[in-house]
Amino acid sequence: MKNGFSVFMAAFIALGLSWCGFVLGPVQQLGTAKQTTVLNSSDIYPIQRPGDATLGLQVYRANGCAACHTEQVRQDGVVCEVALRNAGKNPVVVSNLVSTLKLADLTKDEADAVSDKITAAGGSTEIQIIPAGTDITRGWGVRRSVEADFLYDYPVQAGSLRAGPDLANVGARLPDLNWQLVHLYAPSALVKNSAMPPFRFLFELRKVGAASSPDALQFPKDFPPPAGFEVVPTPEAKEIAAYLLSLKADAPLYEAPFTPVMTKP
Amino acid sequence: MNDETKSNCPARTDGEPTATRAAVPMLIFVAMLLLLFLGAVYFDHHSGWFDAKVYSPYVSAEQLELYQPKSGAAAAAAQGRKVYETVCGICHGVDGMGKPNQAPPLAGSEWVNAPGFHRLAQIPLLGLNGSLQVEGRDWNLNMAPMGAALSDADLAAVITYIRTSWGNKAGAVSADDVKAIRAVVAGHPAVTGAQLKDLPE
Repeated sequence: MKNGFSVFMAAFIALGLSWCGFVLGPVQQLGTAKQTTVLNSSDIYPIQRPGDATLGLQVYRANGCAACHTEQVRQDGVVCEVALRNAGKNPVVVSNLVSTLKLADLTKDEADAVSDKITAAGGSTEIQIIPAGTDITRGWGVRRSVEADFLYDYPVQAGSLRAGPDLANVGARLPDLNWQLVHLYAPSALVKNSAMPPFRFLFELRKVGAASSPDALQFPKDFPPPAGFEVVPTPEAKEIAAYLLSLKADAPLYEAPFTPVMTKP
Repeated sequence: MNDETKSNCPARTDGEPTATRAAVPMLIFVAMLLLLFLGAVYFDHHSGWFDAKVYSPYVSAEQLELYQPKSGAAAAAAQGRKVYETVCGICHGVDGMGKPNQAPPLAGSEWVNAPGFHRLAQIPLLGLNGSLQVEGRDWNLNMAPMGAALSDADLAAVITYIRTSWGNKAGAVSADDVKAIRAVVAGHPAVTGAQLKDLPE
């Protein structure tokens, strides 16, 4: 082995460079990540999950939920729409102009140009930034997932396989605690043809005593529990449900901007 | 060792084989340079220069900056809230409920919910002293001209925010309106509670 040193150096450099790329680089970039603020607001994002939700992350992990569910919404593109806010002093001129222009499915540059034309005619406009992608069309999220969404999760349950739907935004999509618990107990009772296994060991089936428990699950009419019995969640079930309800990645951020739909006060 | 195995042996068995000085085909160089070029183009279009804030589908920090929602009612409301929370919220509360003996509530206040905004806009521009009745309670006020140093756009945004938040349902105010009011009231002393009642809405 007369080239032993060269072979060693070549292997060392190859492994060293990939270590720099896969470990050192990401740590430098994201290792010091801190809380940030919601876009155009002073609201802090993300907020530490509540205590039971933090425990619920460990239940989620222990039950291998990440084997079938992801927590990352993909975004394939971004489109702009120009909305007319005020027709100004010459509404006929502006509305005639608007009817000739393409207002949706624009790039930012095109939207700026359209907006300038309408402003020149005396109207006022608003440019809306709208994330696009198959996941967003499905309603799984309003924008792509970014690092800030996972700031307090350890370990991050990003997942890589979607046997079930993405859960990045499930707390905003399905905010009903009872729904989540019933779904864990009997997925097929709520979702037809659900492939999810029931997690009944997280619940206790017990005889109704003098009064039914305030925690007892409220089942749909076509899926009643056995007569005289009630289903009560264990602490683990409550924790994982709290974790699921805390999954809300729907705030606009600098790195994932969009125009939020303003809710009327 | 029979003859057949012998014929499969390499002819030369002395030492390791060495490369001769035959030239590498030019085509390989061209192909490698082409791959390098394509890789560089791809890198240029997709790397975002390893900026931690740049995620796909954005390709550069400049493009991400371009796509920040900046104009429109939503951005103005957000800007108004930001200014309110840094300038006004300390006394009037981020929920607009005010502070006892210090600042009257803005949520539901008849002065805020007046149809016009001319009277309301003078309070941050000039300050307000003396007694004033707000929501059926008497207040003895000593407010500095907190809005005098704000830009027209910021003051308009914050007045709009106050007039449309916490259940208030008065309309929006534009930067031009604020500019006009500011020009009219320039140089006036602080408004007193008694004067405020007589000002036009």
